[in-house]
Amino acid sequence: MDIWNSLLQGFATAGTPINLLWAFVGCALGTAIGVLPGLGPAVTVAMLLPITAQVEPTASMIFFAGIYYGAMYGGSTTSILLNTPGETGTMVTALEGFKMAKNGRAGAALATSAIGSFVAGTIATILVTLFAPIVAVYAVQLGPPEYFMLMMLAFCTVSAVLGKSTLRGLTALFLGLAIGLVGLDQITAQVRYTAGVPEFMDGIEVVLVAVGLFAVGECFYTALYDGRTQQQMNRMGSVHMTKSEWKRSWPAWLRGTFIGFPFGTVPAGGSEIPTFLSYGVERKLSKHPEEFGTIGAIEGVAGPEAANNAAVTATLVPLLTLGIPTSVTAAILLSALQGYGINAGPQLFQTSSALVWALIASLYIGNVMLLVLNLPLVGMWVKLLKIPRPQLYAGILIFATIGVYGMRQSAFDLFLMFVVGCVGVLMRRFDFPTAPVIVGMILGPMAEAQMRNALSIGEGKWTVFVERPMSATLLAVVVGVLLLPPLVKALRREPG
Amino acid sequence: MPAPATAAAKAPLGQTLIGAGALALGALLAWGATSISSEAGYAGVGPNFLPWVVSVALMLCGAFLLWEARSGGYREMEATSGAEHADLPAFVWVGAGLLANAALLTTIGFILACTLCFMLAVRGLRIAEGKPHGGAKGLVLDFVTGFLIAAPAFWMFSKLLGINLPGLTTTGWI
Repeated sequence: MDIWNSLLQGFATAGTPINLLWAFVGCALGTAIGVLPGLGPAVTVAMLLPITAQVEPTASMIFFAGIYYGAMYGGSTTSILLNTPGETGTMVTALEGFKMAKNGRAGAALATSAIGSFVAGTIATILVTLFAPIVAVYAVQLGPPEYFMLMMLAFCTVSAVLGKSTLRGLTALFLGLAIGLVGLDQITAQVRYTAGVPEFMDGIEVVLVAVGLFAVGECFYTALYDGRTQQQMNRMGSVHMTKSEWKRSWPAWLRGTFIGFPFGTVPAGGSEIPTFLSYGVERKLSKHPEEFGTIGAIEGVAGPEAANNAAVTATLVPLLTLGIPTSVTAAILLSALQGYGINAGPQLFQTSSALVWALIASLYIGNVMLLVLNLPLVGMWVKLLKIPRPQLYAGILIFATIGVYGMRQSAFDLFLMFVVGCVGVLMRRFDFPTAPVIVGMILGPMAEAQMRNALSIGEGKWTVFVERPMSATLLAVVVGVLLLPPLVKALRREPG
Repeated sequence: MPAPATAAAKAPLGQTLIGAGALALGALLAWGATSISSEAGYAGVGPNFLPWVVSVALMLCGAFLLWEARSGGYREMEATSGAEHADLPAFVWVGAGLLANAALLTTIGFILACTLCFMLAVRGLRIAEGKPHGGAKGLVLDFVTGFLIAAPAFWMFSKLLGINLPGLTTTGWI
């Protein structure tokens, strides 16, 4: 029982008082920012990246994972009470949850989403525990050509498949790749696109772009366009479920978990697809279809919430075993690891096994903490929604300053953050997705290095990508992912 | 909820400019790529390969965006939320706060610069909501609020987490 021993070791590391404290602070902070509009887990982790200079890797990864997790729990609270999903993954929760809350069943909706998140999170963590080491064993055999193809797959799904418009997704992706080009070339140390500005030599920090696009951009957008939008808040009820509500929630939680998990493990970028899928399944299977979209059906909250948490947990599998992020937050976690000089990839389970297992163990612990934080204490978080918007967004700017300036003590970066914020407003106004920018700038340099290494292996011949069976298969998948959706669309348009 | 697309997002001028911007950025990258070495080694492609790919791709994207903008607007636009017209005064206040922060951070220290940024940004966001700014009393209140956020944050991050943030004095307290 190698896994069992490693896991126990992980619990021993994660269970030290200081690591428990980090996990708790992470979960609490995550819940808070999940509840608050305007901040997501990605930008929060980004803002806190400077702490990696002082805090040891295991503690900070536990902390960041807690934030990532907590935000999913907190986000559903806002979706249910305010109908403004903080995260794309909780968008579906808002559909039924808000209707339930409007009809005086906010308590049941909050309960089923918190307990469902716990059930899904725990099952998904067990699956991560079982499968990640196995994937890592196989992943060791992958070479640069295969990695390059996996990264191409991540690029394609995040930009071309997920968004509304492939063109705007690709534009965002190439913008991210362009940002990633600035600085020293990884292989030859050639200087690229610095325009003689010394600050550009080290490249552009991901903190800066994430904080600029999400936090500053959001603040600007609110000032420019959203100031007069009024929001109405639902009243909270007591947080409990009746026997029949339990009975209706259970199967939905389980179905949601098993829909969500696979989507998190493949580079399909986030939890949008599995939550919508789960919603569709629940709607079809429900014995109370008349409640959907009218007074709110509890299955419609339970399933998607579980799917969301399972998908979020599952993103750790590709992140830890391949070093490939499948969501924006995972991408920023990856850059946190890079900051420590830790290469996420199949070797991680050997070289940093203490860190990996402590992280996995902390997920079990974090789920329990979050259940407590979000069930009995949910009323406390709801009070956060009373913070007036001007003070909230202006306060966010202070923390944005800490993150961006703290990363490398450069006031230049703060001016750059302003510019990126303006770009963020334009992207939002003209409906460009922002996730491809972040994924592009983090994965871009890695993909370039893998591609050039692969070509070196093939002695400069591009056929190296089709001669190796695994790489050729992945290439076929990439082509399929790119060509299938437009083809299906075209076929649907044909009559008959 | 699908709201009707706002006029600002439909106006082809903005979309045209965005497309032109992408095209220009691609061209700029191409111009920069000409001065990057192509020394390839065993790989057959050198450090200038990806820059060329990105610049050509961005120019293509820009051209397509321009074409979409000129032929009926961007396809499959999601309706953007919020008002049709931008509230520029509100934005100027918020933007001024951030720029002042960037300009003054290293001279007057983190706490004061961020408090100033907070005051300016709050004022801008209040204008956006159409609320009064509260006069002198409001200014004092905003100063106190901003200070009460910035100061503990400064202490926590610089003392507890060891992040290097600039102070007005070298005492580490302000």
